[in-house]
Order: sequence, then C-alpha cells, then structure tokens
Amino acid sequence: MSSGRCAACRYLRRRCTQDCILSPYFPSNNPQRFASVHRIYGASNVTKLLQRLPTHLRAEAADSLYFEAQCRLEDPVYGCVGLIFLLQQQIHSAESQLIKTQAEIAVMKSQTQHPRTQPFPAISGSNNLLLQQSDNDANLSFSNQVSFGFI
Amino acid sequence: MGSGSSPCASCKLLRRRCAKDCIFAPYFPSDDPHKFAIVHKVFGASNVSKMLQELPVQQRADAVSSLVYEANARVRDPVYGCVGAISYLQNQVSQLQMQLAVAQTEILCIQMQHHQEDSALALPTQMQHHDDDDYKPFLLPTTHNLDNISQYINFASSSNVIQDPAATVKRESLWT
Repeated sequence: MSSGRCAACRYLRRRCTQDCILSPYFPSNNPQRFASVHRIYGASNVTKLLQRLPTHLRAEAADSLYFEAQCRLEDPVYGCVGLIFLLQQQIHSAESQLIKTQAEIAVMKSQTQHPRTQPFPAISGSNNLLLQQSDNDANLSFSNQVSFGFI
Repeated sequence: MGSGSSPCASCKLLRRRCAKDCIFAPYFPSDDPHKFAIVHKVFGASNVSKMLQELPVQQRADAVSSLVYEANARVRDPVYGCVGAISYLQNQVSQLQMQLAVAQTEILCIQMQHHQEDSALALPTQMQHHDDDDYKPFLLPTTHNLDNISQYINFASSSNVIQDPAATVKRESLWT
C-alpha cells in the first residue's frame, strides 16, 4: 500500500509494509472482510495459507476463506457444511422428481403408441437415467462423508 | 473429560496438562490425533476453543464435526476448500432443474398432442367431408409450436452429458 494501511494491518495495529502479503486481498475499504476471516482462522493461519500458494491463486483463496468465515459466523454449529447438506437434499429431491416425471413420460408415450394393448411398458434405460445413476454414485459417497458424525 | 492418565489429543499436541474440564477432551480423544491436528492447522486451537465456548454443550459435537470436515476440505484443496464442493453441487442442482423443466415441457407436449387428437375425433361428421385445405390453418400453427419445443428439448437433453471440467477437477481434488 503506497499510503495508508491495509485492513489487516490496521486491524492488527501494525505497520503495513510494501510487500505485505495480505494487503492485496484485504483492502482498507473493507475492514469487515478481514475481521471475519481473522475471527475464524486467525491472522497467522491466513498468512501461512496464502504464503503456500502461488500468487495467481491467492485472490481466490482469500475469497473462499472469507465466504467460509461468513458462513461460520452466521451458523456457528455447521458453517458452510450446512449449505452443503442443504444442496445435497435439493439434489436428492430433484433427482426423485425427475425420475418420477420421466416415468410419467414413458407411460404417456406408451399410451399414445399402444392405447389398449400395453398400459405399462418396460421403461427403457434412457441415457439421462444412466448418466444420473453415475452422478448418484458420486453423490452417495459425498453424502456419506457429510452425514458421518452428524446423526 | 480427560482421563487421569491419558491427555486428550489436543493437550497432547499442545503439550499441556489435560484438565478435567478440558473443553477439547470430549471431542478429540487421544486415539485420533489426526483429527485435532488438522483442525489446529487450519483454524488454530485458540479459535476452536473460543468457538466451542460460545456454543451450548449439546451443539459442540456437531460443531467439531463440521470444523473437521471444513479443515479436511481446506487441506485437500487449499485454494477453494469447501467452496469447491458447494460450487459443484450448485452446478448439479442447476442441471437437474433444467432436466426437470425439459421433462415437464415434454409432458405438456404429449398432453397437447392427446388433446388435439381428442378434439379431432370429436369433430361433427359433416365437417370431416370438407377439403383438406380447411384443416391446414388449424394444424400448421400448432405443429410449428411443437417443432420449436421439440428442438428445445433435444438441445437441452444433449447438455445432460456435459459436465463443467473445472468442477470435476475440484471434486477430484476433494475426494481422491
């Protein structure tokens, strides 16, 4: 910072040097950003984490740390893991609804083709369902990881 | 509660005496040192202690579980942490919602087709002897709309196989 301290150095009440690692990601016009991150992670952990990363990835890392810190402040028990759990539930619900809707389509199509002879045809494995199945497998392992320890 | 002889994993790592009322002891037993090590690495012992102190006792176990989860995610993916997983899941939700919208549109199309067929069958017999030209104004606009919707369905369905490679990479970095 050519003039004035970055939000981090201002918060920590220290001199902000020209090569301050935190200043590009915690500008002085947003003091709350560093305050949140500091409260959850601490200045030294944030500094160590950013130091280990190549420069071009530090901005994204700072943003994700801020996001997670905010989630934790809003939900001190689950933090952003609560959001992950919610999204998993939404996926599960959408998948169930999709499978049900596709089954309805199959039945309606068969009624169009064979109105009297075949009321409930075998539902042929559509590409959509097969692809979703492989996605389901990934989701199952994900949800097992998340739900472990919460029940 | 720290046992008489064995300090909890936290006190062992921090090299201090494990008091009877150690706040970490119930959640970081000595047989799993990695659990506290990773939480300490990402959040720091004093921050974790403050967070737990601010919570009622019955919520602390869940809080520790979520902190361990986040810390693991951050160690595996130092740039995005849990945000990578959230981004991937949000993408999945959007894709599923689109697939659902497409499927629901297809149901509407089929219902419209059925309705048309029923309406055609219900026409009085004297009208069926008219020239075919009289039917074109009735059929053509509807057929044209169905074709447009079918094209939309085919286009949208083809996106089922597409996954965001960046999201896949983020997922891989978490779970491999």
